[in-house]
Amino acid sequence: MIGFPILSLITFLPVLGMIIILFLKKEQTAVIKYTALAITALQVVLALVLLMNYNYSAAGVYEEKSFQFIEKFRWINITGISWLGTVKVDYFLGIDGLSMPMVILTALISFIATLSSWNINHSLKGYFALFLLLDTGMMGVFVSLDFFLFYIFWELMLLPMYFLIGIWGGPRKEYAAIKFFIYTLFGSVFMLLVMIGLYFSATETLADGSKVFTFNILQLMNSANYTADGILSSLNPNNMRFAAYIALFVGFAIKIPMFPFHTWLPDAHVEAPTPISVILAGVLLKMGTYGILRISYPVFPDVTKQLMWWIALFGVINIIYGALVALAQKDFKKLIAYSSVSHMGYVLLGMASLTSVGINGAIFQMFNHGTITAMLFLIVGVIYDRTHTRGLNDFGGLASQLPIYTGFVTVAFFAAIGLPSMSGFISEAFVFVGAFSIDAIRTLTIISTLGILLGAGYMLWTLQRIFFGPLNEKWANLKDLEFREYAMFIPLTIVIIFLGVYPSAMLNIMNTSVNSLVNLLSGNINITSISGF
Amino acid sequence: MSSVPMEYYLILSAFMFIVGVTGVLIRRNAIVVFMCIELMLNSANLSLVTFSSYLGNPIGQIFVFFVMTVAAAEAAVGLAIIIAIFRNKLTVNIDEINIFKW
Amino acid sequence: MTNLYQSILLILPEIVVSSVLIILVLSDLIFHKDKRVIPFIAGLGIIVTGAFVINQFGITGFAFQTSSQTVRNYGMMAIDSFGVFFKLIVTASSLLILFFSHASNEIQKTKDRLGEYYALIFGMILGMFFMISATDMILIYLSMEMMSLSSYVLAGFTKLRDRSSEASLKYLIYGAVSSGLMLFGISIVYGMTGSTNLYVINSLIQAPQINLFALSFAIVLIFAGIGYKISSAPFHFWTPDVYEGAPITITAFLSVASKAAGFALLIRFIKTTFVSYIDSNGSWTLINVFDWKPILIGISILTMTLGNFSALWQDNLKRMLAYSSIAHAGYLLLGLVVFSNQGLIAILIYFIVYLLMNLGAFLIVMLVANKTGSEEIDDYNGLGYTSPLLAVSFAIFLISLTGLPPTAGFIGKLYLFIALVDAKMIFVAVIALLNSVVSLYYYIRVLKHMYLVKPTESTATVVPSLNNRILVLALAAPVLIFGIYFAPIVDLAKNCLVILGL
Repeated sequence: MIGFPILSLITFLPVLGMIIILFLKKEQTAVIKYTALAITALQVVLALVLLMNYNYSAAGVYEEKSFQFIEKFRWINITGISWLGTVKVDYFLGIDGLSMPMVILTALISFIATLSSWNINHSLKGYFALFLLLDTGMMGVFVSLDFFLFYIFWELMLLPMYFLIGIWGGPRKEYAAIKFFIYTLFGSVFMLLVMIGLYFSATETLADGSKVFTFNILQLMNSANYTADGILSSLNPNNMRFAAYIALFVGFAIKIPMFPFHTWLPDAHVEAPTPISVILAGVLLKMGTYGILRISYPVFPDVTKQLMWWIALFGVINIIYGALVALAQKDFKKLIAYSSVSHMGYVLLGMASLTSVGINGAIFQMFNHGTITAMLFLIVGVIYDRTHTRGLNDFGGLASQLPIYTGFVTVAFFAAIGLPSMSGFISEAFVFVGAFSIDAIRTLTIISTLGILLGAGYMLWTLQRIFFGPLNEKWANLKDLEFREYAMFIPLTIVIIFLGVYPSAMLNIMNTSVNSLVNLLSGNINITSISGF
Repeated sequence: MSSVPMEYYLILSAFMFIVGVTGVLIRRNAIVVFMCIELMLNSANLSLVTFSSYLGNPIGQIFVFFVMTVAAAEAAVGLAIIIAIFRNKLTVNIDEINIFKW
Repeated sequence: MTNLYQSILLILPEIVVSSVLIILVLSDLIFHKDKRVIPFIAGLGIIVTGAFVINQFGITGFAFQTSSQTVRNYGMMAIDSFGVFFKLIVTASSLLILFFSHASNEIQKTKDRLGEYYALIFGMILGMFFMISATDMILIYLSMEMMSLSSYVLAGFTKLRDRSSEASLKYLIYGAVSSGLMLFGISIVYGMTGSTNLYVINSLIQAPQINLFALSFAIVLIFAGIGYKISSAPFHFWTPDVYEGAPITITAFLSVASKAAGFALLIRFIKTTFVSYIDSNGSWTLINVFDWKPILIGISILTMTLGNFSALWQDNLKRMLAYSSIAHAGYLLLGLVVFSNQGLIAILIYFIVYLLMNLGAFLIVMLVANKTGSEEIDDYNGLGYTSPLLAVSFAIFLISLTGLPPTAGFIGKLYLFIALVDAKMIFVAVIALLNSVVSLYYYIRVLKHMYLVKPTESTATVVPSLNNRILVLALAAPVLIFGIYFAPIVDLAKNCLVILGL
């Protein structure tokens, strides 16, 4: 398809940018900024190249040959330990319908976040270097198909994120940063354990016919690869697949963040600088749900089916709890943070349905939440830059003062509520349709619709408190948007409305893969018979 | 030798060992602590010699020579360190040598 | 006589170390006016030693065989690739410590006593070399004392500081007590078996008429001596005080080389004395006289938990690193409790990694202390802005000590957990993993002080000399490179698993 290793390029381009920035002088702030901007813009271009060359009918998921843009070579190869066999780790990248939307989202959000980083006023060099490293980590998670590689990228994000919140954050930045770090690490150590457990449970047959233990996610999905005495093998009567699933799920759930592991999120969001909030909400939270779809679901389809009601339950708790807490907030940013918890609940609910519609809705919701919440955080950032306050009750009547800004805010809020013709509507509708069609979780689905009502409540109330009513005289001289801010809002608005009107553009990308995932989950496909490994 | 059973030596050795350990734990003067450590080493020496004699094999007695040498070296180093401390603090009471808590 | 001649060929590295030791003592007398040449003699000595150690790769054999034994002709020392590996670790860390000493203000202030300093370091190396190879309890005891006596003096080397001499006294008292306990244990084992040779003991304790209670008591006493050397709980109390009080070069040396020698001794002791059979999967079958497994698991969990939780409250970085090294001893013991070659390989890999990252961390602390004269965490406030190279390298070392990718520390931990999971000891693995989450807190606290606190007037600007910069990078670069491409260290470890025995 494409003659060069485009996935490596899109993943490691930011590292290249980081190295360039490290060689620049501290004083060359403009050069540093434009380098970062150019790198992220180039990433968007590469994402578009991927999209143009994307084969809509290739399924991926468990079938190596229908993955696209594959890059695979032996990274670690240690031979000849008699009791262990060959140790090998592959550098294995590839995308399918599950990851393609996320790659686009990551490229887009990174670009927007770079634009919104213009106001960062100290230690620019360090900021952009860490920012780009973070970018590599995020992109790497979405394109890697080897569990080991996936884990390395997953952990690679932690440190830059810690510094980005901790150095450039608000008053309680140190607390927020360490809380984020400890929570995520707590989750990922369990992931590590499951990774090692899976490694010892499944083998891969090499070209020469020898069997070796494997980290390859696709091989781990193949039940024929499991050895009889592996602790995570279903052939082993004493297997620990159930416990492993929960451990892995907790690792991902912390990132989502799923109730009751969500408490790091409001702190991190409130203290983080605007662009980092945008990245957090736009991309980082998606890694949790992406990880569940990419690893938990296809590797443990049996346990997934047993636990689907519980996943749905936690999804509903997220929806209702997030919305209720959001209603009580007086801080604009905290409100958006909790609305994020609520919206990620839809993703969980959609995934729990295990139907094609529901999972399509879930992935679409991941993408939409990424764009909408990113926009909401940008909105908070814009007003905070001008007034240095985020108290919802400190404003009032800004609509007459900032008409264009108010227009963008209204679009974003309506999208977040899920108004028809906005992208959020489609994905939430898909989620509900998917979840409603399953008897077991129908009651839960009905309860969760309450979330829409609550969502409309807090969003509209916020709109009213900030933009309508008598003008607070303090803000009589606020300026409306400037060029750079247009450049942030317009692309997001276009994406939100375009996908609201023409959702097939995104749904077509994922549909084939989602169907194949659903088939795998329902056991309609005997993976061993079709895979030509 | 045969008139005294092996157990007597071993009981004496164990007794010396216990006295040594207790002394290390409860005495506060660094020099006395040192003497208690010597007592521990010597109790081990006694049992080594006893076993050697009753088993009729020389290894234990050879070992004892090494232990005595080591004990002498240890005493030399230990006393040197105690003198260094005494010069700084004018005390050898280990409760007063307490920049770090014990 | 052929036996003696062959033995001498087998212990050439030890002979070189002893010769250098003597040369150093003599040259201290000869060059008493200007001692600048002494560090170079020491450095050369280490390099020659290293060459002889590498030359031993692949050679196996017993030195000083005792021909009168009835069982088989086992010697006082076993020369095998396992020993060569640990001798290399000791040699490499000694070489680095020599560089450190050259850069340390603390040591360079005592110019007129430099000869003793280097001679004593070689005394420690000699003791460690014998510890690593010893298969006879007489040699075990002597080599441990050889190393300890040198290190007691070195811990109090800057004797004019209260802290240093106090550290030395504590080290000596705890050390002497634990070696006294060990000696008593040895005497009991000797009384029960009539031998001090580990191989002979191994064959004798398989006999059914052995008194299990007395044997267990003796083993516990012997473990007190070894446990003290590797600073495992409950014999770790000396570690924080000694590490804080001793000159920092010696602290670093104790934390890596002395621990490596202690582990080599412990592993060889258990492997030769208690293992009756090794199956084709590489797992060890222990003789059913003493239940090592639950005891070692308990000690290992206790060690890492105590180390990590105590480290949380430390404001002195040397002390914090001391507790962290206790915790790492706990992780390393995990590699032993699986009783398999798989665990052994994990320990070897961990030691390579630990050498790099721990010495690196101590180097940074030393360079900062050279400038500020203090190791308190508050003196690191804003260091990231004034001394970027040091701060970034320190961050790399600390992240590696936590065990996060993409650093070598992750690979070390990964192999440990692989060994644990393979042995189906999930519960222990979970505890160890939770421990590493706890450890993140105190390591990251240093990063917080370096980067999240703004520099003030009192923040030192540490600009290391070119040599020191190279030294820092020489330690930081492999930590990153092995984190991404770890095949070389695994290959090395894989080739060093031969422990002479059955």
